[in-house]
Amino acid sequence: MLEVKNLKKRFRLDSKTIKENKKKSREHIDPREEGHWFNAVRDVSFGCDSGQVLGLLGPNGAGKTTSLRMLSTALQPTDGQIVINGDDVIAHPLVMRQRIGFLSGTTSLYHRLTVRENVQYFGRLHGMNEDELERELTKVFDLLDIHSFADKKADSLSTGMKQRANIARTVIHQPEVIVLDEPTTGLDVISAKTILDFIESYKGSDVPVIFSTHHLHEVEKLCDRVALIDEGITKFNGSLDEFRALGNTGNLYDVFVNLVDEKEVA
Amino acid sequence: MLKVYIKELLELTRDKKTLIFTVLLPTLIMPLIMFGFITVAGKITKKAIDESLNYAIIGSQNYTEFSSVLDEQEKFKLVEVVDLAGAKEKINTGDIRFVLVIPENTQQRLNDGLSAEIELFYNDSATTSAVIFRRVERAIKSLKNELITARYTKLGLTQEQGEAINEPINLVKTSTADERESFGEKIGGFLPYILILIGLQGAMFPALDLGVGEKERGTLETLLLTPVSRFEIVIAKFLVIFTTSFVAVFLTLISFGLITSVFGPMMLADLGASGSTKINGLLDSLATISIGDVSLMFLMLIPIAAIFASLLLSVSIYARTFKEAQNYMSPIMILAIFPLILALLPGVKLDWMWASVPITNVALAIKEIFKGTIDMAMLGVIFVSTTIIAGALLALCNWWFQREQVLFRN
Repeated sequence: MLEVKNLKKRFRLDSKTIKENKKKSREHIDPREEGHWFNAVRDVSFGCDSGQVLGLLGPNGAGKTTSLRMLSTALQPTDGQIVINGDDVIAHPLVMRQRIGFLSGTTSLYHRLTVRENVQYFGRLHGMNEDELERELTKVFDLLDIHSFADKKADSLSTGMKQRANIARTVIHQPEVIVLDEPTTGLDVISAKTILDFIESYKGSDVPVIFSTHHLHEVEKLCDRVALIDEGITKFNGSLDEFRALGNTGNLYDVFVNLVDEKEVA
Repeated sequence: MLKVYIKELLELTRDKKTLIFTVLLPTLIMPLIMFGFITVAGKITKKAIDESLNYAIIGSQNYTEFSSVLDEQEKFKLVEVVDLAGAKEKINTGDIRFVLVIPENTQQRLNDGLSAEIELFYNDSATTSAVIFRRVERAIKSLKNELITARYTKLGLTQEQGEAINEPINLVKTSTADERESFGEKIGGFLPYILILIGLQGAMFPALDLGVGEKERGTLETLLLTPVSRFEIVIAKFLVIFTTSFVAVFLTLISFGLITSVFGPMMLADLGASGSTKINGLLDSLATISIGDVSLMFLMLIPIAAIFASLLLSVSIYARTFKEAQNYMSPIMILAIFPLILALLPGVKLDWMWASVPITNVALAIKEIFKGTIDMAMLGVIFVSTTIIAGALLALCNWWFQREQVLFRN
């Protein structure tokens, strides 16, 4: 089970922006900018039980990637709490990394290594011993049908093959939580399907899956829960049915538009 | 940390650019370019010395003895010309290499015990022009000596007395430096210049690849999400860059040694220089450079390679893109070259003042080791101070790598 409570993250503004803001009146300044700081995430909370899929929605710049980076321990939160199966992620990031699997549209493989070497490398970094690694590698390669290109260098693979290898890299250490940041962005239909099938395979398992997306049909197809973030604040956190019920048409797009400021959508 | 180090090294060995800059460039390309350059330059000079020189004399009747002396020379071929203007034109077209103009009163001035002025016209812009003047001087040397001896006799002086008139006080130079020290002073400065720059070059591409390269390819974020601390990641990356830099320097030195011992004697034989006392003396003195001396040179290069590895990794981590990182490389090259040039300047010797200037001090220390005149106390101080600088830069690199604003700058 994953719980994210009142998460906050601020970054120092660059001197140029601070100078420009001093010349502007308050209503012309981004509400998230305060003095020398930019509050990228102001108050984000959501939760996801084992075997559930949570879709993280929000317009560009809403704070989705920052929230997921905090969840994956890449960024240190300014405030808030992240708990996985009762353990505090923020207090013990190094240990908790062993329990999280992270994949985004921009994370990649080492292109001069083969798929097998890539996956083995990450398995070893996650502290797996050689026997355990070999056993898990065979299982994951079987599941994702990787054996035929396992010994090819990553830079010689098609996008779909790379995505499958990336998934193998993400799950080789058997994470307790899987975090995916816009994993289908920029992918063709077939490659995107690989990712979506992978997410679906975790439904009903003991692993919660969190993924951010702009594609509402993916949410419709896969998600049990939805969290919507806008300007660094959670605007909605509940089940997919509750989300759908916020609108009159049953269309997720209409609900999304109603919850997010019109200027943001434009 | 070891897992990251091994993986990074494995990946680099599979990269053609790294292999070219770290292995091929220092081991083969650089030494071959240098030896190729020396060989070609030597052959051009030899050819200039051996080639047959077409020349002309205007006014040969004014001093027939002079003309006869040149005529008797091997590889000097007289060509007829009408006047000076025509001769100059022929020089410029390459038909003749020089023309001598003997004034009408030459014989008379010599008979009167005065000096005569014979003008030599040649094309100074030709690459081998310096050789022409030397060959003509050598050709008329015996004639000049005969004239001098005749004048001494006329004045009732012995040869020794005559020479004493020209040189009443003869300052005799005797160097206390042995061949190795003397040779080291002349060319020893270039050795650290080459080695340190090769070290920088060897570190440059891996640093770009392991820092901003990983950022751009999207593998750095993945690495940051593994249970390896950022400190360990920095140290592993630093060690990989340090290794490639040091390997490049090591291979350069080994390659120069091998190529010198294999191609050097062949080259000298080809140029007709082998067997000369000076060359043999030089080779003997080079043979006195012990394994201990070479080890000391390597020891001094360790902190330098560490400085480059930390500095380049910091810059590479900071840059948003590969292109931005490459833009930072030029100022770093200048920062490294400037102190090296200082070490090459005449009069700059290793003393306590220069021992406090980073990079210059190591270059001067290597030169002193090469000469066999190193002060071990000063060497120790330079090693320790350079190591402290390398450590400080590595600490800076680590601090840099902990900052979210740097890692996620793009």
